[in-house]
Amino acid sequence: MTSIPETGMSTPAGSPDEWRYSRDRVLLYVRALDLPPFRGLDLAVESLKAAGPASVSEAMRKLRELLAENGLDRGILDEEGRHISSMPSLNRGVMVAEPLDRVPWKSALGRFLRRWRRNLFGPWETNGHA
Amino acid sequence: MHDAGTANPSWNRAASWRRILLLTLVFLPTLAAARTMAGLLPSRGGTALEILLVAVFAVLFAWISVGFWTASMGFVLLLFKNNRFSVSRAGEGMDLTIAGTDARTAVLIPIYNEDVRRVTAGLRTVWTSLGKTGSSGLFDFFLLSDTTDPDIWVEEEEAWHRFCREENASGRVFYRRRSSNSRRKSGNVADFCRRWGKNYRYMIVFDADSVMAGTTMVRMVQSMEARPDIGILQTPPAGVNRETLIARAQQFANHVYGPMFAAGLHFWQLGDAQYWGHNAIIRTEPFMKHCQVPRLPGKGPLGGDILSHDFVEAALMRRAGYGVWLAYDIGGSWEETPPTLLDELKRDRRWCQGNLQHMRLIFTRGLFPTHRALFLNGILSYGSALLWLAFLLLSSAQAVADVFFEPVYFSGTKTLFPQWPVWHPHWALTLLGSTAVLLFLPKLFSMVLILVKDPQARAFGGRANLASGILLEVGLSTLLAPVRMIFHSLFVTATLLGKSVGWGTQSRDDRGTSWGEAVAAHWWGTLFGAAWGGLVYLANPSFFPWISPIVASLLLSAPLSVFTSRASLGKAFRNAGLLLIPEEVELPDELAGLEENLRRPEPYTPFPLSRKQGFVRAVVDPLVHALHTSLLLRYKKKAPARENALEELVEKAAVKGPGSLTRREKMELLKDPRHLGELHRRVWEAESRDGAAQWGLVLPPSESGE
Repeated sequence: MTSIPETGMSTPAGSPDEWRYSRDRVLLYVRALDLPPFRGLDLAVESLKAAGPASVSEAMRKLRELLAENGLDRGILDEEGRHISSMPSLNRGVMVAEPLDRVPWKSALGRFLRRWRRNLFGPWETNGHA
Repeated sequence: MHDAGTANPSWNRAASWRRILLLTLVFLPTLAAARTMAGLLPSRGGTALEILLVAVFAVLFAWISVGFWTASMGFVLLLFKNNRFSVSRAGEGMDLTIAGTDARTAVLIPIYNEDVRRVTAGLRTVWTSLGKTGSSGLFDFFLLSDTTDPDIWVEEEEAWHRFCREENASGRVFYRRRSSNSRRKSGNVADFCRRWGKNYRYMIVFDADSVMAGTTMVRMVQSMEARPDIGILQTPPAGVNRETLIARAQQFANHVYGPMFAAGLHFWQLGDAQYWGHNAIIRTEPFMKHCQVPRLPGKGPLGGDILSHDFVEAALMRRAGYGVWLAYDIGGSWEETPPTLLDELKRDRRWCQGNLQHMRLIFTRGLFPTHRALFLNGILSYGSALLWLAFLLLSSAQAVADVFFEPVYFSGTKTLFPQWPVWHPHWALTLLGSTAVLLFLPKLFSMVLILVKDPQARAFGGRANLASGILLEVGLSTLLAPVRMIFHSLFVTATLLGKSVGWGTQSRDDRGTSWGEAVAAHWWGTLFGAAWGGLVYLANPSFFPWISPIVASLLLSAPLSVFTSRASLGKAFRNAGLLLIPEEVELPDELAGLEENLRRPEPYTPFPLSRKQGFVRAVVDPLVHALHTSLLLRYKKKAPARENALEELVEKAAVKGPGSLTRREKMELLKDPRHLGELHRRVWEAESRDGAAQWGLVLPPSESGE
């Protein structure tokens, strides 16, 4: 790149360094967006013109506004224009742990004692509130 | 509990007879060996120390006998090739078409802070291989992430998106990241089951480094379709793709002895086999219904999440009436072994804790006896190391005691003659010889099997290379056995004493072990060996030669660890045609594809940021940012205090750059699309050039310089 004076454009006011800095930032954003080349460059030029002799932040703000106006800020969409999703629709199922009787002799003893008590004293009567 | 209607399947009778045979073959020689051992001791096993010594010896002898007889059974099975119980027979003569169009299969790839490039290359390989079968339409893939590293999280999303675009796989390859990785891998799979399990009849579970041939996957589905009584079908994955010496020796052992041991396991386990957690197909419905692994009550390493959940899932599947089978004769299933001794030990630490947790499940009601035995087998895999160490230490104690205590010539009862201590060297040699036979004869069996199949042993680089490889592998595993013994003993002791392990990522590249790492890991073992050897040498020099191989190995453990981790040494052996495996002699399409996929160039980016700087790229790169925020769930406004904290975080990041953020803070920002968007805006609108540069906002010098 050289500093050949631009024709057909008004010479930008403000420090040339600031302009270059704004231009590079805007161009970098447009490159990163991976837009079609002319489309991206058009947006960059438009944002720089609209921002005028201003700071980087102003140029970037204009660019983002332009992107929004052109519907280019909607994230990643799928073929049907919906927000991309990395997961299929939910189809909920149940998966719960069955209780494990890890000490069966203990529960067997409990069962035996309960049966024994039932045999001796009959079924346990609970006086409920009914 | 049983819902498959196969509580007493047709193979049960054969299995019972085979197990009785195995038990007889193990216990009778063990009794004889224990008697011989007792006879060798000065008091013929009459003292407490000697009784303990004989008991430990008997357990160890039985343990190695199980391995020997399993190998022998496998040898016979593979030699005569007449196995009416082989699961793969179900698919014989069929083409690669899956008849049932509703037999959909989900391929699950659980990942946790893995090397994304490797995971994607593996996925692409399997995807391509499956595509060639013509049945790929019945398979969907799920990358199930439990990743906690912010950079890797973003990298995973990008990799998934790129893959879907390049392979036109949208709607077929899915990515899900859990925000809470409770219950680790088993929780990850269970989470899949709860969300989408009902959509699939089967699921094939992978490890991050698994690769399977498409034909193998289709055959597995066909086998499951033909045998509705099977709940889990496990393939024996072959170790491949490693270059370090220790990993190459493992791969070689896996290929030479593995098929025989797998066939042997199949012989006596039949439908009571184990599930190894990956490279297996599972019937989803009974798995969801019966195989959720519960948390063990209590704290400490033996409580909480069961780390070795796969064995338990197999036991629960069997308890539900479904068979668990090992498809020992199905190929096209691969995995990668740990590249270094330290990586292997790190993995063993986790497995050790997991297996010891099974102590609490052995008596669980309703489990089949074989699965109880398999739990015991797993416990002994690590417990045997402690027993071996105890045996050696007790022997040393006995040898030292012999020096300091006079023999008792006249016992309490009145005798005419003194009782002379008698030493029977030929008994000792017989015992040593029979132990050596149990350990090394299976190696010879394996060699015979390979030579019967191909007399030139071309798949292993020729007969001479095969024989040399076996000798090398035996030498190396003998050298490393004492090092593994003391580490496993330490792991068992630490677990029993209540010390738990974290969930580390397994290293999956061929990086070597540095001297610093080796010394830090092995210093205590070296000192232990030196003290043990020194003490025995000073007290009883005539006993020292018996323990000298163990002591020498412990003294050399650090250099052994370093040298065996060298890829250069492994490659030198490979160039010499040693420790070759069939996949290195003739590269299968899948592994060639994997290599090619690993070499794929990175996509273009205008930023001077590496792909590993995931967080920075999610903030800076508009496309990565858009992808990440698109994949996040809908933004929900948080409590004011939380919002303020996030705003402060954005301010800190914008002013001080990404280096000022902790991992947790990065995760906080990545989880919140609004604040991440705000940071994205602030970074791009930054006036300060230095501030912008720390986020990588600089044009390449050739383009920005004017």
